[in-house]
Amino acid sequence: MSPLPAPPTRTAPALPAGWVPHRIRGRLVTVDEPLRLGAGGRPAAEAVRFLRECQSHDLVVRWLPATDDPLFTGPAHEVAGTAGLLRHLPAPGPLPGEPAELTTWRERHAYGQLYHRRGPDFVTVMDRREPSAAARFTIDDPDLLAAFRTVQDPTAVAALDAVGREAVDLLAAERLARVTDGWAVALPPRIRRWPVPCTDI
Amino acid sequence: MRIHLVTMPWQPIELPSLQVGLLHALLDRTRPDDEVREFHGSLRWAEFLLERSKGALRPGDHVAVGSESIFDGLGDWVFSGVLYNDPEWGVAQLKEYAARRGTDISTATAMRVHAAEFIEESADAILDEAPDVVGFTTTFMQNVSSLALAAELKRRRPGLTVVFGGSNCDGPMGHALHRNHRFVDHVVRGEGEYALPALLTHIDAGTAPADVPGLCWWDGQESRANEESRRTVAPADIPSPDYDLWQQAVDASPVAEYVHPKLVVEGARGCWWGEKHHCTFCGLNGSAMTFRAKPGNRLWDEVDRLVRRHRILDIVTVDNIIDMAYFKDFLPLAAESRWDLRMHYEVKSNLTAEQLELLARAGSVHIQPGIESLSNRALDLMDKGVSGSRNIRTLRECENHSLTCSWNYLYGFPGETDQDYASVIDQMPALVHLQPPGGAHRIQLERFSPNFANPALGFPQRRPAEMYRHVYDLPEDQLADLVYLFDTPPAGIGGGTEARLKAAARDWYTGHPASTLVLEQPTGDETLLVHDRRHGWPRRTHRLTGWHAAALRHLEAGRTRSALHRLLTADGDPPTGAELDAWLRETVALGLLFDDGRSYVSLPTWHVPVRSVERAQAPDGTAGGASGTPDNGEKAAG
Ligand code: SF4
Repeated sequence: MSPLPAPPTRTAPALPAGWVPHRIRGRLVTVDEPLRLGAGGRPAAEAVRFLRECQSHDLVVRWLPATDDPLFTGPAHEVAGTAGLLRHLPAPGPLPGEPAELTTWRERHAYGQLYHRRGPDFVTVMDRREPSAAARFTIDDPDLLAAFRTVQDPTAVAALDAVGREAVDLLAAERLARVTDGWAVALPPRIRRWPVPCTDI
Repeated sequence: MRIHLVTMPWQPIELPSLQVGLLHALLDRTRPDDEVREFHGSLRWAEFLLERSKGALRPGDHVAVGSESIFDGLGDWVFSGVLYNDPEWGVAQLKEYAARRGTDISTATAMRVHAAEFIEESADAILDEAPDVVGFTTTFMQNVSSLALAAELKRRRPGLTVVFGGSNCDGPMGHALHRNHRFVDHVVRGEGEYALPALLTHIDAGTAPADVPGLCWWDGQESRANEESRRTVAPADIPSPDYDLWQQAVDASPVAEYVHPKLVVEGARGCWWGEKHHCTFCGLNGSAMTFRAKPGNRLWDEVDRLVRRHRILDIVTVDNIIDMAYFKDFLPLAAESRWDLRMHYEVKSNLTAEQLELLARAGSVHIQPGIESLSNRALDLMDKGVSGSRNIRTLRECENHSLTCSWNYLYGFPGETDQDYASVIDQMPALVHLQPPGGAHRIQLERFSPNFANPALGFPQRRPAEMYRHVYDLPEDQLADLVYLFDTPPAGIGGGTEARLKAAARDWYTGHPASTLVLEQPTGDETLLVHDRRHGWPRRTHRLTGWHAAALRHLEAGRTRSALHRLLTADGDPPTGAELDAWLRETVALGLLFDDGRSYVSLPTWHVPVRSVERAQAPDGTAGGASGTPDNGEKAAG
């Protein structure tokens, strides 16, 4: 057999292990347990990180929310708040009786609504979760940049020094980090794959 | 001396002017005692319109008038009433022209009422800073806005020296611009790096610049045009642009929130392909085709410096064609940086899969590979040096590597026939999963192109494009020297074939977002699966085994029938000639292969990029994307 060129490969992404049990086949990730994004604290932060990394690698994620989680059972404004904050992440699958805000999340999710890009000593963020209020940020202040890097991994706020805490507060105020029950996690996925056309995001 | 560098509308507002950036750096180096200031007129115009129209005329509207109307001259027309000091000048001509062609002129008309006041304010702003010399750089539709401002400046301060330069001043265009506009003191024709400092030395000394190659100057009432030099600027003498004042202007501008600023860099000038085989329609390189490139590591140093300084990761390169050496130095350096760059590059279509992969890794995710056509005969006629199947390969690899590929389908080449298009048009539905052309466009006659230089190539009759009649109040013989685009009787295909080509390109565009044709090879299996999810095709999965599977893989590289047969014979399980012919026919009919008449190339991709949903919302076959991002440098070549 004459040699055939190897098909172009895509490296298998390294997804955060441990907190979110899942299976991966090709570009499809199936999460094996319902996620508790509304409950807060470390498990919610870890679940956000997991979905964020899947989004960063352009993976399709099948996941369901726990039906006793505040994201499912909570008051409409709280569900809407969380779903709006996380709209750039893969949306939950449909469940009977789900809050309307989760349906909206599914309908409005699109690739590249919120993402970050790394430069030499800065990071840029594009936020189009609310199309009418699109925003661009450049994070180049060293303290803010350090905090942004730290909270790529879920981080206990109590473990940060005063400067770090202030920086995380700022990131949370700009909706670039989520802080619940003392745990912080960054929200914008790193863009690893540009869509076609790349100019649309 | 105080020198003002000016870039007027329609410089794209999200981009700094490379010319202003280069000249600023050049003057800082060659004339350290001078004071150099900048006037970012295009940005100011966007601000002015936003304010005067109370938000109705937005920065996004600049694209429709400033970039997309290049063949209708709307951007120039907006300022022609000011240049000719008559608000009605050109209005009736344009209305008649637009009615005949169905051109939308509403935005341009809404803008034009503000033009006179803007020119006055711009003159105030510049004269407040008391310059000695004002230098305009003009490319595409920057002529009339620049001339209008120059006239106003000279009217108010006759002692001021006005200099023009830029692509619009190349060759005879520069002389025509000079002799028809007495208020333009000097025109630098061709590259400015050597000529501008030489001219400024003469201005300092009060001497006649008779020895500055290419320069136009006034000798009393006579416009003189010095002979142009054949000497091109050496790469080492091309400065690295200084964008500090542009950044200041953007940061202070209310327009900033509407635009996504990008950096502009230049690695090379001229075209290495065109030096040997000038594509017959292409006038892009003006009078300087000689290819010159900065060393890749120097270009990377420039990018590194600009990215750090401006904190911008979006980069537009202006090179008409990438230097192939950059695959060894510049692109690996960009890839090693691990920064999330988004670069735009014009490349040649015959890149290998590995080269395309490197472009993607380096962040050069937006390419313009000069595909132009899928018909071998048309590609031969334009001397493009690629085949239809090679172009298909490039489109396919763009899917595999998530590269955005901008291209247009060009037609109207003298000598082409309906027959040259029939098979391509028939096969276009099979290509719907690959990135579509922005549209199918008849080539225009461009100055500096072989078609222009040599009437025997098929365009003996030509006159300045009709649009210039609503742009310039000049007789036709002067326009013939001043302008870049010419009207000719149509060559090549027309009628039904033209209509079918345009319709097929439009269908491709609209069908693309939901179409995929993906190969899968289950592990440990020799079977190939092809999942067909293309618009207009039955949803199905083809299973290929044995020599069929091998043939499809061999044809990824594009091969003639006999080359394929040789490979299959070497594989040890060869089909008979008749079997192979039958399979090729059937597989082309299934839309899994493209046949350019000489060779076959496989169409399925291994991967599918993330498709932006927004593309589906702009299905008019003319413009990609709904974000309003101007696709700067978009031209029918590369
Ligand atoms: S079309 Fe592109 S490759 Fe051809 S001559 Fe022009 S710049 Fe060079």
